[in-house]
Formats: sequence, structure tokens, C-alpha cells
Amino acid sequence: MDWNRRQVLWAGGGMGAAALLAACGGGKDAASSGSGGTPQKGGTLRVGALGRASAITRDPHGNQGNESDYLVIALVYDTLTAPGLKQNTVGRLASAWKPSADLKTWRFTIAKGATFHDGSPVTAEDVVWSLRRLRNTPAGAARLPGITADHITADGKDTVVLVSDFANAELPMITRLSTFILKKDTPDKDIAKAPGTGPFKLDWYRGGNARLLRNEHWHGGPVPLDAIEVTMFESPQAMANAMLSGQIDLASNAGAVAARTADARKDIQVIRRPNDMAMPLVMRTSGGPFADARVREAMKLIVDREAMVKQVLSGYGTVANDILGTGDPGYAKNIPQRTRDLAKAKQLLTDAGFDFGKTYQLVTTEDIAGLAESATLFAAQAREAGVKVEVVKQESGTFYDKTWLKGDFYTNYWGTNDSVVFFASKTMTTGSGQNEAGWSDKDFDAAYHKAIATGAPEARTAALRDLQQIEHDRSGYLLWGMADGIDLAAPKVHRLPQLPGYGRVQLENVWLSR
Amino acid sequence: MTDTTAPPAEAAARPVTASAARRAGTLAARVAAVLAKRLVMLLVLLAVVFAAIELLPGDAASATSERGEGTAGLAARRHLLGLDRPVWERFRDWITALPTGDLGTSARGQHVTDLLAAPLPNTLLLGGTAFVLTVLGALALGIWAAARPRGAVDRIVDLTSTAAFALPEFVVSIGLLLVLSLWTGWLPAATVTGADGAPATWTMLVMPVLALAVPQTGWNTRIVRAALADQAAAPHVEAARLDGLSTSRVLLRHALPGAWPAIATGVATSTGMLLGGAVVVETLFNYPGIGTVLAGAVADRDTPVIAGVVACAAAVITVVLLLADLVRARTLGARS
Repeated sequence: MDWNRRQVLWAGGGMGAAALLAACGGGKDAASSGSGGTPQKGGTLRVGALGRASAITRDPHGNQGNESDYLVIALVYDTLTAPGLKQNTVGRLASAWKPSADLKTWRFTIAKGATFHDGSPVTAEDVVWSLRRLRNTPAGAARLPGITADHITADGKDTVVLVSDFANAELPMITRLSTFILKKDTPDKDIAKAPGTGPFKLDWYRGGNARLLRNEHWHGGPVPLDAIEVTMFESPQAMANAMLSGQIDLASNAGAVAARTADARKDIQVIRRPNDMAMPLVMRTSGGPFADARVREAMKLIVDREAMVKQVLSGYGTVANDILGTGDPGYAKNIPQRTRDLAKAKQLLTDAGFDFGKTYQLVTTEDIAGLAESATLFAAQAREAGVKVEVVKQESGTFYDKTWLKGDFYTNYWGTNDSVVFFASKTMTTGSGQNEAGWSDKDFDAAYHKAIATGAPEARTAALRDLQQIEHDRSGYLLWGMADGIDLAAPKVHRLPQLPGYGRVQLENVWLSR
Repeated sequence: MTDTTAPPAEAAARPVTASAARRAGTLAARVAAVLAKRLVMLLVLLAVVFAAIELLPGDAASATSERGEGTAGLAARRHLLGLDRPVWERFRDWITALPTGDLGTSARGQHVTDLLAAPLPNTLLLGGTAFVLTVLGALALGIWAAARPRGAVDRIVDLTSTAAFALPEFVVSIGLLLVLSLWTGWLPAATVTGADGAPATWTMLVMPVLALAVPQTGWNTRIVRAALADQAAAPHVEAARLDGLSTSRVLLRHALPGAWPAIATGVATSTGMLLGGAVVVETLFNYPGIGTVLAGAVADRDTPVIAGVVACAAAVITVVLLLADLVRARTLGARS
């Protein structure tokens, strides 16, 4: 087993934490955990979030590698829209939005009474300037797909008009995560201190750590907490230790190892946010051994999904059905769950003339916990079907350089999983920018275009169902399961975020009982 | 020590200031020469750092890119970061800016000096405290053990110092974490900082300092003990003992002065070990120092940040080595 130094450290810390359990079993009874009770005003929430000192980014439109930085930015600045629980897009700085009949022109209305932290009102000009700034960053085209900078305009004081190059029923969804609004003409050198419009104001920021104070005038309503203190943690284990020793009230995205430790402690809440992370196996459809759809289906029948969730995710996850976007309210739960069927898999492979004598390389990385383990476990499961799979671990940089979008067979991971259409547009339609499996399927493309060009709910649901069925049947993705996002919190913390992915930063409604 | 005859009277009458000035002059020249040598070494070291990162797979543009960037975006960022230019050119630019205090810009667009502004003093505090503790601990234990060679204390110190030195920092760290924090709750498990970027309370320093100091104290105790044993065999120490002076007086006034050069060299090498160990210890205790910056920067292939950390660490080590040289020069010089 190849362990790197960091893993050894974490494992060491894990042992430490496990030993702690023995010592600290039988703590106090857990207080009410969920959102029960009347919110109380006041108090300071001490939050731990992961990040590296070398990767610090202060620019809201920059490339935030640190969860800690994104947390601070998302509390100080508002995006136009935000991820929601019942609908996957809800308003934030924009209170309403309306498409034209052709679904190309979208008009966003700025929330009434929205002001910057310095007291000045938010105007459409500020929003236009911020969105154009975002669009002009190196990753801008991926963050606002289909919308060029000159197609972002103001209409009056409180309306912003976005014009997409193509019909897009899901356009508001793409404005959820990075459309942070700053004041027009904020110079780059002042970006770190620029006033936002969010629920908290920046008190200080230093070396990844920050203190935020309540914005008394937030347009989104009253904010219970007086302040939030963010501490950046280099390793999840150090963050878990800080949680266990009571130095922080919330460990954001602490991971499964920490959750196992904390599960035995009655004085710590373990919050599971389902559908947080997808770790699909990608099979190249455009050539190579997996080009035949029967071979791909066989692989999907070979994998033992329950075992993967249990062993790779330590049980903190759910089985998936080879369709990406499991958190989408429109996710097709009625497509029958694919289960392990080795006999059928062997038959399919034989029919397709699959070469059982060859060894197939499955390329993986150690970028996130469990990824390499998923590859190793799959290889073991494939052996039971007579398919020889050799796991090749690549260093992250090499992987993105040499394997990603090019390889025949590799693992990858995706962190925002609440939209089927998002994955279709980004990774599966013909010629899409991140088409990991090199997939091109006329029926799928047609279903996709139907889905995004349809505003009517029923027709849209039907189109989405078709799209997912095709994806389930023959896409290049083997999605065996979904990892939960896991937060640890003290019993006194209420109304914690429930959403997966970036939804973990929604701390504006959190309150503390005393 | 060849000419032991008494100096001529006129020499004794010569003004002391002149000879002191001359000595100071030669000392300054020696310091300058040593500094120049170390500066050249630092240049070579930094060149090696640049070359080594070049050899690693991937580069800063790909390591810090967002998935949506695409080939064109990557190329643009590569150009922005200057990665499309030859490595020697980037090295030349970086090194010529160094004397002005400009350490360049990180792959994520932050000034390296800003990135290091808070962590460097923290690491110096951590390393400095561990260093002082190491020196004091090693001297105390080494002298105590040397007081009665082959006595019980000597044997116990010999065993424990070897064991302490053999323990990697992360084992010591986890042991400390378990006992002093998670089991007893006496000390905070992780470091949390205030608005000034420094640890919020001094108690947060205790475990990281101990984790660094314990292995190094083991190492240096052995050096002190060995150096004192060497000195014990020297004629003047033998003579002092035969004169019937107390053990402590013999050790402190006669043996220890001669042992200084060896001890100084030993603790000076510990500086490098302390700074190296800081990478591990800082990560485990979430201590906000340059070790954590370095670990992340290597993963990001962020050459200016890595070189900045190396330059800072090298500067610290150079100063300590220089001090060790001075101690040696003084001790040996006094006897030549």
C-alpha cells in the first residue's frame, strides 16, 4: 500500500482520535440538534474550515482553492441566486427573474433595500460591472456559459439583463455560486476590503482566518449571530481535534473519518448533507475498450455499489444509479436501480468480444479522500467477473495534464450535484467543454435540447426523464454512489446548513442556544 | 601554544585598543568572508529549488487551475505566471528582485511577502522557543549526566536521549495531543489566531514547541555529554580535578569552555532540523507558520512561494551558523 506522508499523519491523528473515544465515551446527552426552538439572537459562532495558507485567495471572482476563503467570501458578498432546498435555485441578491419566450433573455430584479456594507444602495450598474468582471476571469466562460460580457446590461436602476447565446431554461442556476456582487469600479488592489452586501461584514482577515460581524441591514432579513470567527485548518484531522477539544463550534466539511470519531461522542452533532460528492468512473466512449455500449453496461453491472458505499465512504453515503445530478428535484427516482449481476455482465462482455486476457488500467488520484480506494475496490470486484483491472495512481497535476478528458478509464469527482442538466451540458452533450468520456449520442443531445428549451413544467419533466434514461443506459459514467457532506457541530448550534456542496456555507440563519 | 615565553615588556605596554581594533578588523573580515560564502551557497540553493520544481510533474498553472478553464485559459494563465519563459529567466528575474525585498507573486496572485508576513514571525517564535528550550535542556541534562560518568543518571540520560532523538516529530506530536489535550483537556488541541495573526493564547505554543524540542534535546544532550567526556580527558581538566576542585566547578569552569565549539556546532545543525520539523508539527497543530505555507506551495508547484520560504529559512540558518562560527572562533581563538 502506498501511503504518502500526509495520509500517515492523518491516520496517526485518526488513531489518536479513536483512542480518545475510549476515554470520552458516555458524555452528556445531546441537546436538541435540528432546527427546533425559537431562534435566539446573539453569540459568536466559531467555525473551522479547510484551507491551505499557500492557496489563500481574497478575490471573490478568483479561483478559490480554500473552503475557508469561499466561506468568508460567501458570507460577506451575495450572489444573484443561491442553492435552495425545495427548488435548486432560490433568490439572493436578485429577488426575481423572468425569461423571454425563447429562454435566451433573462431579466433579474435586484432585491428591494439591498445595500452595501458602507450604506450605499446596490444598483444594476454594480451588478453588471461585477458580472462582467467575473466573465473576464480566465475561468469566466465556464462560470457564465453562453453569456458574453457585452450581453450583460443594466435596464434602469434595479434590473439586469443577461442574454444567452442559446435557449437556457436553467440560466438562473449558473448564477448561484460565483456571481458575487461588488461595487462598480472597485480597483483590484482594494478587492480584499471591498464592501459586500452579504449577511456579515468583514471585521478582520489574516492568514486565512477571519472575524465577521452581523450586517444589521441585510436585505435578506434579520441575522441571529453577532459574529462568526473562521479558523482555517490545513488538515481535517487537526480540525476534528479542535472540535473534540471544544475550540470550535462547527467543523465544516470534516469528512467521514472525523464523523466516525464523533459518532461515539454524544456531545457532538454529526450533520450529514446527502449528495455532496460524486466520484464516478469514466469510460471513454469514443474509442478504446469501452467504446462498445455493452462493455460499459457490463462494468456498471460488475460494481457492487453497496460494498463501495460501505467501504470507500465508511457508510457515509448513498448508492447511485449511473445518473449524475442526484440532488436535482427532477432526478428520476423511478428509473430502476441497477444492481450487481455478474452473469449478465459476462454475457454482455462475451457478446461484445471483450478481451479477457488483457489488463485494463484504471487511472486515479488521491485528490479527495476515498477516490483511490474506490478504484482499488472496483478492481477487486472486476476480478470476480474475470476482468483484470490495474489501478494506476497519478499525481494531481499529471492527471489533469495527461489523463483527464483523454484517458480510457479513470476516476474523477464532482462537487455540485443538484442538477441533471448541469452535468448534461458540461460533460455529456456532443462537444461540451468537459466531456470526460468523449460521449456523443444524438438521442441524448436531442433530449437535452428539449429539456432546456422547454419552460412548461410537465413537458420539461418528461424531457428530463428521457435524458436520464439514456444517460443511465449508455453514457460513459459509472456512478456507484454519492458521498455525504459531513459537518460536526456543538449541540448549541441550530439551523445548520443541510445542502450539499457549496450550500455548506449558508450560515446566515444559524443561531446558538444558551 | 608553541611560544609560551613571557611577552617583552614593550609589547605589554602597547595600547590595548590597537590590538583590539586589529582583532575586530580581522573578525569583521572573517565574518564578511563567511557571509559571502553563505550567500553564494544560498544562490546555488535557490537555483536548485527552481530547477527541482521544474522537474516535478505538472506546473503552477495546472495545479491551481479551475476545471472549467480549458486549454486556452490554461495557456493564458501560464503566460500570466510567466511559466512559458525558460526557468533560468524566471530565476534571474526573481533573484534580481530579491535584494529589494520583492519575493514575487504566488500562482494565485498574492504577494509572497504578504503570504509570509504573518507566518514567518510565528515560525520564528515557535522555532526560537524550541531552540532555547533545546539548548537549556541539553546543557542541563548533558552536564548532569557528565557529573558522574557511568552513574545511574548518566545511564538514564543516555537511554532517554537516544530514544527521544529516535522519535519522529509526528509521533511525539500525537502522543502530546492525546495526553495533554484530548484525554486531560489541559491544553488546546489546535492553534487559533487573533486579528494580529499570532496564536490567541500562549498555551497553544506548548505542544508544538515540545514536539520540536524533545527530539532535538535528545540529540544535543548526547553532543554535550560527549563533548564534556572529551574535555574530561584534557590535561587542564585533569589538573583541575587533581587540584581537588568540586565536580561542578571542574565541569562548568574548566571542561565546558573547551566543549563550546562542539556544542555550538551541534545546536546550530539543530536549527535546520527544527525548521524542517516545523512543516510536520505546524500541520498537526494547525500552527500558522511557514511550514504549512511550504507544504501547500509544493503541492501547487508555486515556485516563488517555495523559494521565498527557502530564502527566509536559509537566512535564519545562516545567522545561527554564523553565531556558531563566532563561538568557535572565540573559543579556539582565545587559545591560539
